[in-house]
Amino acid sequence: MNIKNMIEKLELDEVTNLSNDIEFENVYIGDLLSVVMSNAKENSIWITIQTHLNIVAVADLIDIAGIIIVEDMEVDKDTIEKANELEIPILTTDKSAYEIACGIYKLEN
Amino acid sequence: MKELSLHILDITTNSINAGANKIEIKVEIDTNENYFRINIKDNGKGISKNIQQQVMNPFYTTRKIRNVGLGIPLLKAAAEQCEGFLKIQSVENVGTEVIAEFKNSHIDRAPLGKIEESILTILNFNEKFDLIYIHDVNGKRFVFDTREIKEILGEVDIKTPKILMWIKEYIRENIDKI
Repeated sequence: MNIKNMIEKLELDEVTNLSNDIEFENVYIGDLLSVVMSNAKENSIWITIQTHLNIVAVADLIDIAGIIIVEDMEVDKDTIEKANELEIPILTTDKSAYEIACGIYKLEN
Repeated sequence: MKELSLHILDITTNSINAGANKIEIKVEIDTNENYFRINIKDNGKGISKNIQQQVMNPFYTTRKIRNVGLGIPLLKAAAEQCEGFLKIQSVENVGTEVIAEFKNSHIDRAPLGKIEESILTILNFNEKFDLIYIHDVNGKRFVFDTREIKEILGEVDIKTPKILMWIKEYIRENIDKI
């Protein structure tokens, strides 16, 4: 599925300024970065409530396609800057991880 | 990380890579003052002033194969999420001290976990060094010191599987007794 398409359908807000024309193959939900690092697969959309710069480092390390920050969390400025630089889209929403995951599932099926 | 003992393992690995031959790990829990403090002190090569700020950044690493180093940044974020802080004090050619403090009762503070497993992993590294582990709960202390163990062992290598298994149980038993 395409990130650009998902942004429209799920009404996500973009905090990065990127083309978002990226295909993703999987979805992973998690907030404990060490667990995400060992379990998330590359080209995944990662759903989390974490907003610290460390999420961009983790996403870079495992080649995450894009990050969705849920529950209306405010994203740190450093995080956005680095994500733009490394071209990792960060999207936000006031919905919960469960609602977003269900939304993506519906889009795929 | 799920357990603070894994953070301790991670930070201590930095000490060993910095050429330390004496490492002191202190875990202090004070339920009255409500803090959980981890202190890792080594006599390694130290970190220069201009790099001390950079090590807080996850995109700083001395490794060449990947461009991310998460040991310090992950511990710092974990401490700050629990209303605590992380501090680094380092003098070049003298050593480094990393202090991470958590609010002890904070709901997101991970448990210490299997510290004896982390110590065993550290003892199994190939480099020669002494390790002191201090576990302090409200002023009641357990001290584990490889210098004392080595003195008793004489010629016997501390890395002998039987000795290591004994150390692991010895540490666990003594922590549980506090």
